[in-house]
Amino acid sequence: MSVTMGQESINLDALKRAIDDVFYSQIDSTILYYLQSCVNCKACEAACPFTPTSLKYSPVNKAEIARQLYRSRFTVWGKTIGRIIGGSKKYLNLEEAETMADYVWHCTNCGACMFVCPMAIDSGALIDLLRQVAFRAGMAPKIYTDIEQLEVSGKYWDIPVFRDAWNNLILKMKEVIGKDIPLDKKNSEVLFYASIYEAMVYPDVLVKVAKILDMLGKDWTFMSKPLGIRPPVGLVIGDKEGALNVMKKVYAYFTEMSPKYVMLTAGGFEYPALRYTMHEVLKVQPKYEVVHVTELLAKWYEAKEFEIEPIDEVITWHDPCQLGRRGGVFEAPRVLMKALSKNFKELPSHGVNSFCCSRGGGGCGLPSMVENMAKVIGIPISEKDKKFLDSTLEPLIKAGKIKVNEINKIKASEVLTGCPVCIESIGFSIDYYHANAKVNHIIELLADRIKVTKK
Amino acid sequence: MQIPYATYPVGNSLYPLALDLFVPTVFFFFLGASYRVFRYLVTYQKPFIPYPSSELRQVSSWNKIANLVNTFANSSRVGIKRKPVTTGVGLLFHIALVLIIFLLAQHMVFWAYYIPPYSALFPLAIPESSEDGLLALTTPNHASITEFVHDIWGPLTVILNGQFLTFFLIIFLGIYLGHKLLLAIEGLSLRAGDWWFFVLLYIDILLGFFATAHIPSNVYWYDNLLGAHILVAEIIIATLPFTRGFHMFEFYLGKVREWYFMVYRRGEK
Repeated sequence: MSVTMGQESINLDALKRAIDDVFYSQIDSTILYYLQSCVNCKACEAACPFTPTSLKYSPVNKAEIARQLYRSRFTVWGKTIGRIIGGSKKYLNLEEAETMADYVWHCTNCGACMFVCPMAIDSGALIDLLRQVAFRAGMAPKIYTDIEQLEVSGKYWDIPVFRDAWNNLILKMKEVIGKDIPLDKKNSEVLFYASIYEAMVYPDVLVKVAKILDMLGKDWTFMSKPLGIRPPVGLVIGDKEGALNVMKKVYAYFTEMSPKYVMLTAGGFEYPALRYTMHEVLKVQPKYEVVHVTELLAKWYEAKEFEIEPIDEVITWHDPCQLGRRGGVFEAPRVLMKALSKNFKELPSHGVNSFCCSRGGGGCGLPSMVENMAKVIGIPISEKDKKFLDSTLEPLIKAGKIKVNEINKIKASEVLTGCPVCIESIGFSIDYYHANAKVNHIIELLADRIKVTKK
Repeated sequence: MQIPYATYPVGNSLYPLALDLFVPTVFFFFLGASYRVFRYLVTYQKPFIPYPSSELRQVSSWNKIANLVNTFANSSRVGIKRKPVTTGVGLLFHIALVLIIFLLAQHMVFWAYYIPPYSALFPLAIPESSEDGLLALTTPNHASITEFVHDIWGPLTVILNGQFLTFFLIIFLGIYLGHKLLLAIEGLSLRAGDWWFFVLLYIDILLGFFATAHIPSNVYWYDNLLGAHILVAEIIIATLPFTRGFHMFEFYLGKVREWYFMVYRRGEK
């Protein structure tokens, strides 16, 4: 059965199948704990970047749909009186399905709710279940699924603008270093990993990383062609199968190259996905270690392989959610930040409590950025997609205000971070609120201040 | 069960019934708790750990312990900063509730009856009122001319007494219930379990207060109120494994789990 509302169309039969598939196949003890142990205290409201937009977007409120579907299937009272008093739902009606679709795109799976939850419940994991339901039922925004399918099918490499961006990046690296760069070299110490997305949004950062590796005389290699647009995009839009296929390809390449380290400059969802999720899902113990560029640089800095010429300005570090909370990388960037400036100050919300920029994950980047990418790769933007992308702007503005207030409070002139999406979204907020600061990847500042002491 | 109390037939009140039902209540609680734990066991999947060790992630033992404390404290710390009113009310409510359940003199006598070693905590007993340190049941309910209590709490007894804590609970639990009503009006998620647990708790606190304060002041009402107080508490205990009340046990599981995966394992993979 397909119900149409205006221009919207939801296949309720597909939705029912998706709900059953996801909820009967994915309940393990961890998810069970998240589903049944919430006390509805709403402490998670304090951490979520979407709550300033509306309390209905608080983690507990969004995850409640998952709990209602769970109770109907797995609890005695949910099967009995729960249905009568609205405590559980076997399936969703049209209005509830639309609410679910709205909620799942108002969660970046940043994990902040878990750390402030007195019960340590990861609401993001439950909202991710709903995102999988939405994807299977064909309710994910088409603009996202189109981009993701390009990655899953491997056809992204047929797109001229992507090929050009990548090839130009390699050319620029050669130009800056003054010699050929190693491509797809096996058994090197560092496999410098990047995605097309990064090549498009901050090619200069990637070039500077190559320059640092060359300056330090490292045995490194780069990829002759990228492994995806931002692999595995499927994880953030609810396509587990698609993500699995992409991760298999990525793992095969990493294994073939067999480096000691796979080094990422992106600290968004790619970091925990490629460091942890990929190996956990494939059940493999890699011979390499996936690390963020700050981890390796901090290690080399502490080994006195280089010095850092400090600046006087007040600088601060924004902990990307996925790199920090999900990935566990907090100390390494701070080693570098403290060396970069004696005036390094922490944002009021940092570490596990870092306030998310509200993009990435289910936030899926700046709407203008997604729109531009769709245009350059020839994906048509429908009215429905446009409406959806516009609707993601308000949370960005609301969360951005909190972030900018924090930056202003410590009077930081520069915010450094390690995630392309954080850079885009914080940059947007700084512009929107006319803050007297700038935001950059840490490499931007670091690359020009490194003085090599030994090779 | 017929308990003689002077010439008054206690056996006709709710009190002995409540006492008789305590053991079955505990049995039901353990049955429910076992069911809940069993569900975790049957759905448990051993996590796959891809990195047996990481040369970049050496975390000192001291750091791990400090982070364990932080794991438990973080929620309250952030809450006080960003949601001061509800967090403050919640914390004070929990402190008052824990004190009154486990250290109120009358409750301690009850627990010690079923678990004799509990009597070791008697020196920590919180008196019913700040006027004296004796049980209200055995003393007249009027201003005492006896000396100030000589217990471990000392002058703190002005705050740490049953009456004060009960007023505290009535006010804070009332704020919580009011908050729930506001959420219902705003159309935000509320569960039957919220009402069940909070309303029962509220009723139970009121019953306990009326009984110990002798309102109304006659022994017939006292026995029934005390009996009802215990009965409602038994309903809460028996249904704990199926309500939000079970968080008092799972709280530790959740936080230690968070610490293990987010701090300990992150450093050791």
